[in-house]
Amino acid sequence: MQRDKFFREIENVRHPNEKLIKTHCSYCGMQCGMNLRVNTMTNKIIGVEPRYDWPVTVGKMCPKGVTAYQQTNHKDRILRPLIRDDASLKGTKEGFREASWEEAYDLIAKKFTEMQATYGKDTLSVFSGVSMTNEKCYLTGKFARVALGTRYIDYNGRFCMSSAAGGFLRSFGVDRGSTLPWTDIHETDCLFIAGSNTAECHPTSMFRVWHVQERGGYIIVVDPRETPVARRADLHLDLKPGTDLALANGILHLLIENGYADENFIHEHTNGFEETKELVKEFTPEYTSLLTGVAPEKIIKAAEIYGKAPNAVVMFARGIEQQHKGVDNVSAYTNMALVTGKIGRPKSGVATFTGQGNGQGGREHGQKSDLLPGYRKLTNPKHVEEVSKVWGIKPEEMPKPGVSAYEMFELMNDKTIRGLYLLCSNPAVSAPNLNVVRKALKSLDFMVCADFYLSESAEFADVILPSVTWSEDEGTVTNLEGRIIKINKAQEPIGESKPDWQMQVELAERLGRGKYFSHLQTAKDVADEFRFASKGGYADYYGATWDKIDKQDGVFWPCKDENDKGTPHMFLDKKFYHPDGKAKICALPYRPPAEEPCKEYPLRLTTGRVVYHYLSGNQTRRIQFLKDMCPEPYVEVHPETAAKYEMVHDERVRLYTRRGESIYKVKITEAIRKDTVFVPYHFGHEASINLLTIAALDPMSRMPEFKACAAQMQKLEPKKVL
Amino acid sequence: MKKRLYIELENCIGCRSCLAACTQCGGHEQRNRNYVYDVNPHVSRQTMPLMCLHCENPACARSCPAQAIQIHETGAVLSALVEKCIGCQNCTIACPYGIPKFDEEENLMYKCDLCIDRTKDGIPPMCASVCPSNTLQWLTEEEIERKQQQYDLDNGKWVTSMPYLEGATNVKVNLPGILQGTEKLF
Ligand code: SF4
Ligand code: SF4
Ligand code: SF4
Repeated sequence: MQRDKFFREIENVRHPNEKLIKTHCSYCGMQCGMNLRVNTMTNKIIGVEPRYDWPVTVGKMCPKGVTAYQQTNHKDRILRPLIRDDASLKGTKEGFREASWEEAYDLIAKKFTEMQATYGKDTLSVFSGVSMTNEKCYLTGKFARVALGTRYIDYNGRFCMSSAAGGFLRSFGVDRGSTLPWTDIHETDCLFIAGSNTAECHPTSMFRVWHVQERGGYIIVVDPRETPVARRADLHLDLKPGTDLALANGILHLLIENGYADENFIHEHTNGFEETKELVKEFTPEYTSLLTGVAPEKIIKAAEIYGKAPNAVVMFARGIEQQHKGVDNVSAYTNMALVTGKIGRPKSGVATFTGQGNGQGGREHGQKSDLLPGYRKLTNPKHVEEVSKVWGIKPEEMPKPGVSAYEMFELMNDKTIRGLYLLCSNPAVSAPNLNVVRKALKSLDFMVCADFYLSESAEFADVILPSVTWSEDEGTVTNLEGRIIKINKAQEPIGESKPDWQMQVELAERLGRGKYFSHLQTAKDVADEFRFASKGGYADYYGATWDKIDKQDGVFWPCKDENDKGTPHMFLDKKFYHPDGKAKICALPYRPPAEEPCKEYPLRLTTGRVVYHYLSGNQTRRIQFLKDMCPEPYVEVHPETAAKYEMVHDERVRLYTRRGESIYKVKITEAIRKDTVFVPYHFGHEASINLLTIAALDPMSRMPEFKACAAQMQKLEPKKVL
Repeated sequence: MKKRLYIELENCIGCRSCLAACTQCGGHEQRNRNYVYDVNPHVSRQTMPLMCLHCENPACARSCPAQAIQIHETGAVLSALVEKCIGCQNCTIACPYGIPKFDEEENLMYKCDLCIDRTKDGIPPMCASVCPSNTLQWLTEEEIERKQQQYDLDNGKWVTSMPYLEGATNVKVNLPGILQGTEKLF
């Protein structure tokens, strides 16, 4: 299926006493295919071999993927449950002792039961993540709502994909991250990439991205920094962080003004055009330039290229989404495709670069505070009834919607929430405004953390449960295309570690809720219940059996039944998912970032990733190669700005905002705006840039504004006298 | 069908996946054997790999007093033979690009052998297998010929194969600037 010009039939190298287990990378949404090399004498993972026959990535991997196998048998793995009796040591690595699963489960069940008896069901919370299989994500939602009976569950997708989800739901009525398969990307004529450091965050997209230029097509990149993809782009729109909405409105205005609107498509398949046209009139190139800092000529040129391109794909990522108007940014850039009709056909469409491995699937099946499996809504009585039936509970028993990830920490600080079950996430590094978050974690009466390494967040736990890495369990994930793929087990769990789904089943039994969980004895059992639970929802996975995934090289949802091959291209029939079948062109008034630079804090601080690390770095900071390549964070500063502050390359300086401060080495580079500084966010403790970031939340997606706040720098060392 | 390593420098994104993957080839003992350079780090994010070019008449092998550097029938210039290498480091100095690396503890040179375990059977080397940007590719002679026509940069000549450098090389290199000649679609 979809074997394109990059596909080559290549035999893999097979060494004696070795077998290859085909699977995918543990990290980002690309979900590159890989083979894990397993020694058949020791049955241990010992390396990686390219998976040339995976049609999306044809053997390619970034350095994280190449070294991912080193996680499994790493010396830092937690092998047995850990209990800490002395709560005064919370927030440190100290005081943990090994315990049996029996003891750990008993303690958790006792504490959880006592706390709920005293403070009510909702005193407990679950904070989860999407770097794990659909099956685990699904069961975590059920665990919170059926085993714990709490309304407070949310997940780290609030810091990642929630704005894309919100924007797509509003524009299309459906949230599938890409309207087209990745095997179309290199065949389009114009890639408009906004707020994506593609070369570092989704590197294996790059051979397709460059191929657009090789064919004579255009790449337009919107980014405050000259990232590796911006360096070679035909056009780099170097905007001020947090001003995307103005830029998108400005380009839309020019598209309409210069006759690139597809009147017929607009009339037949969309709503909201006239109103939007009125609103964007104001965004002339000059006014847009004033707001965004991008030269008017570049804005005009961008609209001309995108408008003229026979086919074009609008792509974006966290740069536009991690803003307090992230949802509006998504809809505003999506407007470009809807107004020009460049959607609902091959080689044209809209896509977001999903951050986490299962950022797509993990947000669809009920880990979000207001969602149930199959993208059903907790506020819709019919949806609640459908899922209650699958779970065997009464609809009245279904907890009500809770609050978003960051807001849960606020509720911990005011003692509404006193207990936490944390898994697959490291919010003590990845959440914004960390002083508040770390205080919240410390204030908990009781905290459980399931992880395979002792993360910065696990340092706040009373009990740590050892989970497995991705290579020691099986299940499905949904990659950034919306393609459901299969992760295979390459090795037995090391030590006494267990998959999250198994812990949750066993804990449910301890909590007296076994009858809803005990039938789930294997990952496949969970998978079958999960497919069934998604059936009839619009993220319908019912027809995506493991068998079909294997035969077809993955299955694109929706896939409703056994005969359904899945849906690689969305909207080919020009039917969108709003009740009237039309997409919505959105009129979106501009608003600036929540915190604008001022005299005291004159710089714009923005954050992001480097190619060597993934999310909070809990995994990648432990891998020697990746650590050698990027051992510590730094602050990127333009040479003119550095000169103004009298700072030199490699000097340590204090960077601070209204919320916090940290010390970083200066990295001088012309590849950034003069008014902006950048720090990567993968680092823990006092090096976390999220001590400084702002928790201004998007009103719809509850996404914090990681990408823009006001900051100041200060020299630590005295000026060198020459 | 003979294939060669082909390098398109303009594509490099500096991810160093080629180096990470280098360690995965059998016989490479977890050590990577090439380099990726930041071209002008204070100015731009441009990077480029610096790989052994597997010269047809390799200075490294010529300079070796112990005949420790063998040339494989495929043209790959192999890493030093453990029994022969005397650790003099002549090869590193002789190589125009300083490619051979040195293991101080073992007193032994090691260099790129073009993943001979793989390439002798026509399987691409690890670096070209994983390179996410197609900077490193494993191509047939005909494919390389087409590339040469597509990017007619230096009067049809491969710059690295010019006499004032190190003579002809088995690896073919396309210098930065390939986009200059590209005709736009519209
Ligand atoms: S981190 Fe992403 S791009 Fe890198 S190998 Fe893994 S899935 Fe591929
Ligand atoms: S893997 Fe490719 S893109 Fe990455 S550094 Fe090496 S040559 Fe450059
Ligand atoms: S590039 Fe250097 S190490 Fe490689 S064959 Fe030529 S002289 Fe020897």
